[in-house]
Amino acid sequence: MTNITHRGNPVHTIGELPAVGSRAPDFRLTDANLHDVSLADFRGKKKLLNIFPSIDTPTCALSTRKFNEYAAKHPNAVIIMVSADLPFAQQHFCSVENTHNVKTLSMMRDRNFAKDYGVLLLDGLYQGITARAIVVIDENDKVVYTELVPEIRQEPNYDKALAALK
Amino acid sequence: MADVLFKGTPAHTSGELPKVGSKAPDFKLTAGDLSEVSLANFKGKKKLLSIVHSLDTGVCAASTKRFNDIAKNRADVVVLVVSCDLPFAQARFCGAEGVKNVVTLSMMRDRHFAKDYGVLLTDSPLAGLTARATLVLDENDKVLYMQLGPEITVEPDYDRALAALK
Repeated sequence: MTNITHRGNPVHTIGELPAVGSRAPDFRLTDANLHDVSLADFRGKKKLLNIFPSIDTPTCALSTRKFNEYAAKHPNAVIIMVSADLPFAQQHFCSVENTHNVKTLSMMRDRNFAKDYGVLLLDGLYQGITARAIVVIDENDKVVYTELVPEIRQEPNYDKALAALK
Repeated sequence: MADVLFKGTPAHTSGELPKVGSKAPDFKLTAGDLSEVSLANFKGKKKLLSIVHSLDTGVCAASTKRFNDIAKNRADVVVLVVSCDLPFAQARFCGAEGVKNVVTLSMMRDRHFAKDYGVLLTDSPLAGLTARATLVLDENDKVLYMQLGPEITVEPDYDRALAALK
């Protein structure tokens, strides 16, 4: 369990992010076509997971746009937005905002990803969805960088996250 | 378990809808302001529960607009639109479509409502979300009418739902 804040109020996550140097937990998430996707589908590539509460809220939207800008210039980068939004909301956002260079994956089927990555919120207004976090994973699925954003409304550290992806 | 179709392919629910004549199960769902809402919050009114898989899809959007029109002229009725969309997506939809006469409620925190009402889909591309269903409850939460949509992509039977509200 980790202590963070949401709008200044203390909230708690179910666990800890995977440790740097450890093997990233596999996952089953759902893409825009309602197909299930696992970590193994991206084997051989470096991946950046941008985990957030909802693409329909401002900070999450902002981070999606910023990572999309980077991904547009780096076509080999695999940058994945992970949230409890349904794929329909993620798709709606990406078509309105034209952010087609990042991937979106949804926890529509269950919250196993949120539990396995330690980011499920146990209390507060966002109980049942996730904290904001970044996980960068190398070609062999080893975790090379993580950030759990200490205040949910704040943006992640883009420079550090993208440096780890290089 | 009940059998329905999604785009013509068999899909299955976790259980059965509450029977006509029975007392509707209580629930805890999340409103647009992220507060918790239960069936008891609407005591003394007739309720129409429109259960949909996502307001960001065509048929769910159409039925929500239709029920919104119906609710406009019925001060004795509250229309509750229940889905797995996050409250942020529900609010975006209602804002964009001018839908003001229904109450949207989200399963963001868990799927207990879906299980208790027997509508959780256990397979198909929509697994983890809900089948399409309509229930009418009287002032004392007794089930007057229920319909499980036999084909998820088809709109509910508005006439029969309306007749049950009379």
